Amino acid sequence: MTPDLGFWTLQTLNALQLSMLLFLLSIGLTVIFGLMHFVNLAHGALYALGAYFAATIASTAGFWVALLVAPLGVAIVGMALYGGLISRMRKSGPMAQVLVTFGLIFVLLDLTRIIWGDLALAINTPAALSGRVEIFGTGYPAYRLFIIALGAAIFSALALILSRTQIGAMIRAGVDNDAMAACMGINVERLFFIVFCVGCALAGLAGAVAAPLLSVTPGMGLEILIPTLIVIVIGGLGSLKGAIAGSLIYGFVQTFGAVLLPGIASILIYALLAAVLLLKPVGLFPAKG
Amino acid sequence: MFRHTPLRYAALIILFSGAVFTAFTAGYFGMEILTEILILAILVLALDLVAGFGGMVSLAHGALMGLGAYAFVALATKGGLDPLVAAAAAIAITAGTGWVIGAICARSHGIYFIMATLAFGQMGYSYFFERPFFGGDDGMVGPGRFDLSFIGVDLNDGRSFALFCLALLGLVYLIAVATLRSGLGRSLTGVMHNEKRMRALGLTVWRVKADVFGISGAMAGLAGVLAAQHILFISPNLLHWTVSGEALVVVILGGLGTLVGPLIGAVAFVVLKHELSHVTTYWHLIVGLVLIAVVMSRANGIFGFIEARFGPRTDRLIQSIQTRDDAKEAVKDA
Amino acid sequence: MLETRNLDKSFGAVHVTRNVSLKLERGERRVILGPNGAGKTTLFNQLVGEITPDKGQILLAGEDVTNLPVARRARRGLSRSYQKNTLFDGLTVEENLELAASVHAGVAMTLWRDALQSPKVRAIVEEVAEQVNLMPHIHAKVSEISYGVRRQLEVGVALATKPLVLLMDEPTSGVGPEMAKGFHDLLAGLPRDLTLLIIEHDMDLAFAVADTITVLNYGEVVFDGLPEEARGSKLLRDIYLGAWEDA
Repeated sequence: MTPDLGFWTLQTLNALQLSMLLFLLSIGLTVIFGLMHFVNLAHGALYALGAYFAATIASTAGFWVALLVAPLGVAIVGMALYGGLISRMRKSGPMAQVLVTFGLIFVLLDLTRIIWGDLALAINTPAALSGRVEIFGTGYPAYRLFIIALGAAIFSALALILSRTQIGAMIRAGVDNDAMAACMGINVERLFFIVFCVGCALAGLAGAVAAPLLSVTPGMGLEILIPTLIVIVIGGLGSLKGAIAGSLIYGFVQTFGAVLLPGIASILIYALLAAVLLLKPVGLFPAKG
Repeated sequence: MFRHTPLRYAALIILFSGAVFTAFTAGYFGMEILTEILILAILVLALDLVAGFGGMVSLAHGALMGLGAYAFVALATKGGLDPLVAAAAAIAITAGTGWVIGAICARSHGIYFIMATLAFGQMGYSYFFERPFFGGDDGMVGPGRFDLSFIGVDLNDGRSFALFCLALLGLVYLIAVATLRSGLGRSLTGVMHNEKRMRALGLTVWRVKADVFGISGAMAGLAGVLAAQHILFISPNLLHWTVSGEALVVVILGGLGTLVGPLIGAVAFVVLKHELSHVTTYWHLIVGLVLIAVVMSRANGIFGFIEARFGPRTDRLIQSIQTRDDAKEAVKDA
Repeated sequence: MLETRNLDKSFGAVHVTRNVSLKLERGERRVILGPNGAGKTTLFNQLVGEITPDKGQILLAGEDVTNLPVARRARRGLSRSYQKNTLFDGLTVEENLELAASVHAGVAMTLWRDALQSPKVRAIVEEVAEQVNLMPHIHAKVSEISYGVRRQLEVGVALATKPLVLLMDEPTSGVGPEMAKGFHDLLAGLPRDLTLLIIEHDMDLAFAVADTITVLNYGEVVFDGLPEEARGSKLLRDIYLGAWEDA
């Protein structure tokens, strides 16, 4: 295989697509952590839930409805979790939170198995995006381009919300110093609730857009969890910049590692994580210095 | 600092007698479960040593166990070493690896420590998963059981092997207690309570963490060797992070930082798993709910709950017996 | 014994230590005065190595320790107590002292010997417990003793490393006048060859215990001399004593 323009184009797009999927997952997790200091290991399970919702809805109402409704469904599940578990665990140490959400992984995993069974579900790409698009002479699946565009759009929207709107300013204040934010009259609890639900919805969205690419299985949440955690730790917890940087690093290292250095590809990303933690123990762009 | 309370002694005696009783009465299946519990118990003791007494919540311990198993099997089958020598070498390798991981992660705390250990663990998993030399995802067939005929023991007998594991678990427990009572263990306690102050007092904190992680790694390696001896087959799944996650669950279910608690946790977890998997394939659901309930109850696991509930009472009881004895002796002296 | 040469440190635009040069002889007891925010604690943090200075040197017993990590400086005989209690909260008073003593006794990393039973550790624990008057509370947990006793333990833990130089960061902060007097007695009981550098707010106490006085203002040494001179200094009165007398 001689790497030519087509090769680089293809792999770059693959890397971008993986990065954007991871970004949708990691942004919710990282902002929830930055704001609430809450480690939600069940975030991956919510992603799986999003994929299952999408698969079910798509089979009757079509893909586009599923893409809208599945994130809402996951957000509702998130609300229930927040009311029942998360808000009560807010004051506990990180260890207790890690364990409760680890337990939640088990529960959600088996619940999806009970409801949807052990067999993998498949969902078709929507007709409008089933073709290929010519880029630099290389045909690339339109659906994957759609994922890249969606991720970029969400990133831009979030960047605008965080920098330009009042709620964005509140979130930034809360990440910076939640005690201070509470003193300034920000309703911190309500803010947490909103951010948590939006984070869950984005995880659900990630699951829904990933569904046509992958087969929908109960284990998919567990599989994506580790990459997501690596992204937010490399990027630094709590920041949008960290989430996008971490996602891009992971996507490119993983994709190009697999084709250029197949022997050590799978170790590469872990070695990178270890190196980052060694040199910058709190990640590349942490929200707090 | 670690202390043996009367309650802890009582729990140890009950656990030990229970294990011996099971070893002499159980059938084939019961013996398998007992052995599984004993091996898991060694792993969770290793984890409690670092997590419960050093605040180092490790997700690398499954991988250290797996590394021990792989090193043992590879040295014995491909390296042609005597299995006992291979086992000793495997334990030394995991001790060294544990020391290095502990030294590198010593500066990280909280979620970053967890992630750093996770990274090292998954690195090991990917390595063995992909290396054809180690059988890739097919795993490897291990050497036969150790030849202990020179002391008249045949480990191919299930009961003998279970008792062999029990003896090693006892040894590991004693090493854990000795470590915690040594100067190193005291320093570790100091580091967990106030790392900054220990440093200001002149302690090389990272060395303490690395040394204890090394000892813990050796224990995890031993668990790996025994796991390989138990089922005579190993696969990369031993190293997967979920194994570390489950070990952590066992430690928490039992009672973090009590040594005795994780032993109880191991019994509860394995028995629960087997009993539930008879009834339903969704046993993870129930384990998950139990875990959430235990953590949310704010008790320090099963044993922590028992200690909080009955600890003061048994201590008082013992005390009153002692004062009665003292009084008797005083009367005698008079 | 302890010397700094042109020590300088900024955090961004804030210049917290300006060209500070100090020299403490063996056995000297020096008190550092200065208004809040004068950079006293920041100076301590640089001396023990918790913060690295931008410029300048720190010498301990004649040797440059500027680039040594915290623990190695401590092992060379530099110990400190904190303004905010920095104790081992879940442990007893005795265990707190033992942890400190075990580092000095060289048994903090041993595997085979029980650090508690080392005669060297026992001797230090008993000596320090006497010195800082902790004998009545020796088996109590930190959570069970009063704030004042915790302040004593804070100094005791620092003393249990058997330092050459002891830095005390406001040892009497937050305690009542009686305790402050008790602290004066405590200092009187310490060996005369121990070099002391003390940040102190209580002016009477400062003048009572100090051999020499250094005054910091905006990170800069504005006075360095004997207590008698300090009392008479107009500069000092303006920036510090005046404010204090008004209060």
